[in-house]
Amino acid sequence: MFDGLRRVIFGNKTSSKQLAKSRLHFVLVQDRTGLSAEELAKFKTEMVDVIERYFVIQKQAFDISYRRDGETTTLVINSPVIVRRQDAVHHEAGTRKFKKKKHELAKPPPPPSMPVASNT
Amino acid sequence: MTLTNGDSRNGTQKNLGEVIVVTSGKGGVGKTTTTACLGAALALKGKRTLVVDADIGLRNLDVILGLENRIVFNLVDVAKNVCKPNQAIIRSKKSNNLYLLPASQTDEKDVINEEEIETALEHYRREFHFILVDSPAGIEQGFRNACAGAESALIVTTPEVPAIRDADRVIGLLAAKGLDPSLIINRLDVDMVRKGEMLSVEDVQDILGINLIGVVERDENVIVATNCGEPVVYNPRSRAGQAFMRIAGRLCGEQIPLPNYSDTGLWSRIAARLGVG
Repeated sequence: MFDGLRRVIFGNKTSSKQLAKSRLHFVLVQDRTGLSAEELAKFKTEMVDVIERYFVIQKQAFDISYRRDGETTTLVINSPVIVRRQDAVHHEAGTRKFKKKKHELAKPPPPPSMPVASNT
Repeated sequence: MTLTNGDSRNGTQKNLGEVIVVTSGKGGVGKTTTTACLGAALALKGKRTLVVDADIGLRNLDVILGLENRIVFNLVDVAKNVCKPNQAIIRSKKSNNLYLLPASQTDEKDVINEEEIETALEHYRREFHFILVDSPAGIEQGFRNACAGAESALIVTTPEVPAIRDADRVIGLLAAKGLDPSLIINRLDVDMVRKGEMLSVEDVQDILGINLIGVVERDENVIVATNCGEPVVYNPRSRAGQAFMRIAGRLCGEQIPLPNYSDTGLWSRIAARLGVG
């Protein structure tokens, strides 16, 4: 109970468990895809280039993870998008999921067709 | 996971025992303890159970069960037809339903192959409801041998980075063999999870993405039980022992819900609402 109270009053700095999760995330993507860290970095750069042809994105928040759901494996690409409108710039977060079987990873991804939610 | 609701030995139906491999990738996460305790728990539930030590050269299932001074023949002897199958199995001290097929201590892991193990296990399938095979650590021949003849698999992991990484690799290898694994999370420390210093049950499930069959909390009673050579399920006060009994129940097809290990205290819920949890 006091841990929860402490968090309410003082806020929550990054716990060691959060660090463990992000490190696991990093090694498991490499282990599962068989791509090295360099190849993954290259893949990320190329993905960002493709998405930037259609959207304006926040590059530093761009993230790729590789998740197992039972028998299928899913490539999850998180790409926060800045949607420009005529009078104002609205910042929206968007998530695209490309569902692929493992053997299809070599093919180029289809263009994103995600509907972006808007405040107006 | 497919479950065999075995009949009693005196029944007219002939059921083939279900062969389950207990593996992990990482060493020291609790495979042998899990195999021994699940075996003892199943035996307590009236299921005739054989636990097989496939860790050739580094046997320990005998020690956990307190049967180290009763070994005459072993798995390699059965595989090489040095002895009859029933000469090699040792009945447990505490239960008429639990038997051990020990590993050889002097050979190396490549002394037998998958085919020989499968043939050896075939001798026992009509005699037992469950056959649990304790796999060695690693992913080489010892692991492949342990998986031979298995119909399903239990993956044991602790909520720690190296164990989870290795478990993930093994899940991939088991899927390639057509074995559908279920997960046991061992040595969970609820206080550490609350403080954010240990990955939670949900974290591990989310990362590994396979069916969770049970969680065993960290429990000093396990060490005491190992010292004495009596599986911890015989200690009714042990939380780990209780957890193994629940897992055995689930293996038998009973619907036993998982206890809630997540932190849902009042202040934590407030913290989560305010976005600082």
